[in-house]
Amino acid sequence: MEIAITVQDLTKHYPNVLAVDHINFEVQKGEFFGFLGPNGAGKTTTINILTGVTKTTSGAASILGYNLAKEPVKAKEHIGVVPDTSNLYDEMTAWANIIFCAKLHGVPKEKREKRANELLELVGLYDRRNDRLGTFSRGMKKRMMIAAALVHEPEILFLDEPTTGLDVQGAREVRGLIRELNRRGTTVFLTTHYLEEADLCCQRIAIIAKGKIITQDTPEKLKLSTQVEQVIEVSFDHTKDVSDKLKRLSHVRDVVTAGDKFRLSVDDSSETLPLIFDFAKENNLKIVSINTLKPTLEDAFVKLTGLRLEVMSIEKEQMKPNRG
Amino acid sequence: MSKAWLEDLKRAVYIAEKDVKIYFLKGPNLIFGLLLPISLFLSFSIGRSVDLAFAIPGLVAIAAFFGAGAIQAIALPLERRTGTFNLLLTAPISMFAIVLGKALAGFFFGAMLSVAYTAIMIPFSPLPNLPVFFVGIMFSSFTFSAFGMLLSAPFRDIPQAMPPATVVRIAMIFISGVFIPLVAMPTFLQVVAYALPLTYSVDSLRQAMSGSINTQMFLIDLGAQVFFSLVFLAITVWVLKKTIE
Repeated sequence: MEIAITVQDLTKHYPNVLAVDHINFEVQKGEFFGFLGPNGAGKTTTINILTGVTKTTSGAASILGYNLAKEPVKAKEHIGVVPDTSNLYDEMTAWANIIFCAKLHGVPKEKREKRANELLELVGLYDRRNDRLGTFSRGMKKRMMIAAALVHEPEILFLDEPTTGLDVQGAREVRGLIRELNRRGTTVFLTTHYLEEADLCCQRIAIIAKGKIITQDTPEKLKLSTQVEQVIEVSFDHTKDVSDKLKRLSHVRDVVTAGDKFRLSVDDSSETLPLIFDFAKENNLKIVSINTLKPTLEDAFVKLTGLRLEVMSIEKEQMKPNRG
Repeated sequence: MSKAWLEDLKRAVYIAEKDVKIYFLKGPNLIFGLLLPISLFLSFSIGRSVDLAFAIPGLVAIAAFFGAGAIQAIALPLERRTGTFNLLLTAPISMFAIVLGKALAGFFFGAMLSVAYTAIMIPFSPLPNLPVFFVGIMFSSFTFSAFGMLLSAPFRDIPQAMPPATVVRIAMIFISGVFIPLVAMPTFLQVVAYALPLTYSVDSLRQAMSGSINTQMFLIDLGAQVFFSLVFLAITVWVLKKTIE
């Protein structure tokens, strides 16, 4: 499989801060790759390096084989960038912004207007095309940034926290749009501090904290890698406490009641499941529901990073005063 | 010229076009470009016997000086603070082309103001070499736009960028022969004056204003301005590259 992004030993020092610390990863062409971590972890610095906004202190990065330090213009021909804050001009109309981006990326004159029309339709802003961007809401600006980033049909799309600050509906729309683009073949590099977003969208995730990549794998493998025990959750048709009896089943290590459900910590769920069905029959109980519970990406994140889950909900605005 | 260079140049023109659309009518540009030159001119002319053939080139030169520098004194720090400059950084375009594009926008504004001042002044004093005078305006405007880029390149905010740039510009006006002839200045100031681009601009315009042009001196004036422009653009590229490190 062809490699879209290569990062080797990438390091970025700011005065008094090591923002990115010798990170390595590769993103395959067509992949939906997530860069997950709390704010201040080094996600934006990494994306800034990969898109030419910031230079590295050491290490190397390349886009479709073009080294960003040696051939930055060639590398940038293949990327579209949606930063965390608007990079478009409030003073210009939506239409003028898209056309300007098309010109900057060398889209031929005869294609510019057609492409601008298509993209404004795609992001649902065609009717507002003659309005100045300064009059747009945050969500509309975000959609405009996506449209502007796609004007030259880039092979790789970088998105830095694309749903931050959007309402639920807006975030869902943006996510849907990005997934559709990936389905059509665009390689997506997404940074996010929303665990559910990473879980929902990404084929592979790298978890970054304090400038270092802690781990990288598929969301499912990350969850399984942190699973020390399997859990079965079962509820019966009446609320009689049968936890002591359940505890006596083989392979069951512990039973905890949670509302009308019993959570069984087991060594092997496939061995235990038939025993639970037998147990229900023997005790004249009807099973209302039975599920094997897998650890969530949240569980995996907490175990792998050693960080509290609350750090993921600290938004950038809250961090700014500390960063100066 | 290779295709990549031509493409880079085209994109520089698009950047200039965008800056013209956004920044030409911003208030600070009009104050610095329109009002400051005429205010300085009047404050030095009223109540004195002024030789218009000496004063008009000075006025036109400082119109180009303030006008050409005004656009990027606002645009560059503002775009770097708001993040719109990053749109240019992530585009497939060289830093030189970005700087050139922005300098071109300043050039247009400076040239436009200088031509407007020239048009106003023509009824008061004859301009025997109008085309040559316009050549002088074009060279001066580009040089001062490049100088304006250099002055604003280290800053990320307008309030930070404006004061040092204004102080440097005002100081330059007094030692570049705009109001006081160079020969009337002490020798050490004359040496300093010849290290400043405004001196060559004023001299080229005064030559064009006079009936007889010393071609060699005029070409030296233009050549010096080309040299200053290239140096200013190169340092601006270097400064901007350093600031993204």
